[in-house]
Amino acid sequence: MIGASSNQKKTRVMERIVFWAFRLATYFVLACASYIFLDIGIKGGRTVFTKAAPFVNVKFLTQWPQTLYVFDYHGQKMELSDSEFRQWKTTHNEDVDLASIAYSAGGIWPCIVGTALLVIGSMTLALIIGISSAIYLSEYSRNGPFIRLVRVAILNLAGVPSIVFGLFGFGLFVIFLGWNVSLISGWFTLGLMVLPAIITASEESLRAVPQGLREGSLALGATKWQTIRKNVLPYALPGILTSSILGIARVAGETAPIMFTAAYAMRDEMPWHVSHWTDFFFQGVMALPYHIYVVSSKIPQNEYTERVQYGTAFVFLVVVMLIALTSILLRERTRSRLSW
Amino acid sequence: MSILPAKRAPRRLSVDAAIKTFFGCNALVAIIVLALITIFLFREGSGFFAQNLANLRLYRRAGLEYVDLIRAEAQNHAQLSRELSQIRLQETNETALANFDVFAGAFSNSAEELNGLVSDANDEAVTARDATLESGTVDEQATRALRAAGPRFDEIATSMRAKIDNLISAPPALTSSKAVESLQRWQTATRKYLAHLQATSQQLREWDPNKPIPASRTVTSFLFGNEWITASFWQDWYGIIPLLVGSMMVAAVALIIAVPFGIASAIYVSEVAARGEKSLIKPYIEFISAIPSVVLGFFGIAVVGQAVRAASHMSILRWVSFFPISERLNVFTAGCLLAFMAVPTIFTLSEDALRNVPRGFKEASYALGANRLQTIARVLIPASLSGIVSAALLGLGRVIGETMVVLLCAGNRIAIPDFTQGLGAFFQPVHTMTGIIAQEMGEVVRGSIHYRALFMVGLVLFVLTLGINYLAQRFVARFRMSIG
Repeated sequence: MIGASSNQKKTRVMERIVFWAFRLATYFVLACASYIFLDIGIKGGRTVFTKAAPFVNVKFLTQWPQTLYVFDYHGQKMELSDSEFRQWKTTHNEDVDLASIAYSAGGIWPCIVGTALLVIGSMTLALIIGISSAIYLSEYSRNGPFIRLVRVAILNLAGVPSIVFGLFGFGLFVIFLGWNVSLISGWFTLGLMVLPAIITASEESLRAVPQGLREGSLALGATKWQTIRKNVLPYALPGILTSSILGIARVAGETAPIMFTAAYAMRDEMPWHVSHWTDFFFQGVMALPYHIYVVSSKIPQNEYTERVQYGTAFVFLVVVMLIALTSILLRERTRSRLSW
Repeated sequence: MSILPAKRAPRRLSVDAAIKTFFGCNALVAIIVLALITIFLFREGSGFFAQNLANLRLYRRAGLEYVDLIRAEAQNHAQLSRELSQIRLQETNETALANFDVFAGAFSNSAEELNGLVSDANDEAVTARDATLESGTVDEQATRALRAAGPRFDEIATSMRAKIDNLISAPPALTSSKAVESLQRWQTATRKYLAHLQATSQQLREWDPNKPIPASRTVTSFLFGNEWITASFWQDWYGIIPLLVGSMMVAAVALIIAVPFGIASAIYVSEVAARGEKSLIKPYIEFISAIPSVVLGFFGIAVVGQAVRAASHMSILRWVSFFPISERLNVFTAGCLLAFMAVPTIFTLSEDALRNVPRGFKEASYALGANRLQTIARVLIPASLSGIVSAALLGLGRVIGETMVVLLCAGNRIAIPDFTQGLGAFFQPVHTMTGIIAQEMGEVVRGSIHYRALFMVGLVLFVLTLGINYLAQRFVARFRMSIG
């Protein structure tokens, strides 16, 4: 009896130790994530927020990226952006010893606009195609070889690396169709990339609508399409949209697919300054993720560049994380509410 | 039935059929896109093999190969010289060092003529190649002039052998036992080198510019080539091995870190954590998966790389042979960040697999008197093992295909790491398949061999991830059967 109880004690201690190891591993992951958020939040916050009213660095959010000029002027250290420097030049006609640092002054306004345009276009595309194919898969299809093929294709498409989507978009849209580096190439590349996620999410929501709703409608003499439109989609749509928000986070966050299909490192016109309205679709844009790539790999790490690097990363992270957070919170809510 | 007008039925049906077709077409998009990806990767990449074959044939016809044979010997000699200076670091006695320096200087001077020969032959071969490219035919006279380097090499080799034989018959006396040992090893290597000179002479005599290169060489030189050299004045090589090795090493580090953490946290959340804890941890980890990779890459450059290098300089880690490291951006840095990306994937899928184990399994185990840990280890994990394995595989797929983190943090040096350092190889910079596409695609000329080579790399990546995906699906299918 005594041996058994000491054995029991040993297993209990063992259990404790192992569970604590699991707990530590879990909290270590969470701590790493928190550290990343804090580091970027604090250092980026210094750029984006200001101490005085209006507490937000409006210039950073509304200006163009510019070259920063650093120089010594009669013992005074000057840090001027390109436009400020030209202004200064008009009053001080002297030669100074300049150090110029690309991208490190001004703001990121065109990048924000470009990312917004890319997300809106590609999500519209992905939602139309994605919801339609989900309707087919859940409402019309019978299990057959064709459907199995579609499902295998969706599963595999979900695993294709984003850079391969970038190559594909470059080969098909940019070169073969001759759209060049443009918004519309980016829309199609990103839209097709996020398609599997949208289809899976939409199908799940459609299947969650109880069969009785369809049968009741069909029994009253409605056609299949009437049933879907009036009795299935309205109930599934909130679920579809919330799940798709996570797709938005992915579309906004990816860099590799737009590197050669839609993004410019620098462009000095806003997207709506076009001579003909069709040109709007065929122009490249600046985008936040690509801008982060450019400022973190093409210019050195120092006190002057850190401002724009962390600031851009902060703005981008906040945007993407807000989108993701909305999606996760909404999903938790719909899950608890939608129990039929 | 007779109340309904009979005419209307067919029209409605046709509208419905049209709608059905519309939705069906949309469902087709997934298949079409997958097919288009394959087609376009092939379309842009397919010309690569023909161009590469022409490239390889030119390499032989113009005599670049011939020069490279001689150059290899000069490089081997330089390598031996470098080893001598390594040995020098192990010695402290000053008089011994002075003797040693004389010895090392004499050794390094013995290759002077050889180096001169290489640089002459180099220029001749480049001129011959450019002339061949311009006119399309090989200038026989130029080839003959180049072949004159062969007898000259024989002469140089003979005199060099005499000099070096003389040198190593009277090696400098060293005091440190470690240095003596190294020098002995160096002497054996040098003797081997001298013997190899003869073999090279033989090779040079037998070398034939018109010897045909089999067409399969273009495929093997891509799949098994050790060098990826582009835009060089000499010869471009497109071998995928350095990139593949880089990708694999980064993925290995990432998985070794991510799998334990992912599975441990999945078990913790599904079996151990309290309800409130669970509802907090789960969304948080899912939240992590939404962090954009480029932000993680930037974080790697700004923080993690520095931290890894600083850690390698700490005195408590002095015992690790390959520390301190010099490059802050290396395999390990990129691997850590990718592990962080893979944890949410592995966590979510493993947690699903664990939750899908039927309640009865667990209850039966408890009823037999097992405690929670025993139930987890003996019942839950075996029952969900294939799900967990497929989770790890999908994590691998995500890690291999990830671009921005490796592009920013893996160091981007196109070379196979030096595996003689053991684990130290994991602290060297590499380049990866995804990274090379992202980095070089924007700069290449459309339709050039380099451009097509990048598409071939993309194709390899595509096939690799499809294979990993397929394996993961197979495991999931088995997992369903084991429960049913």
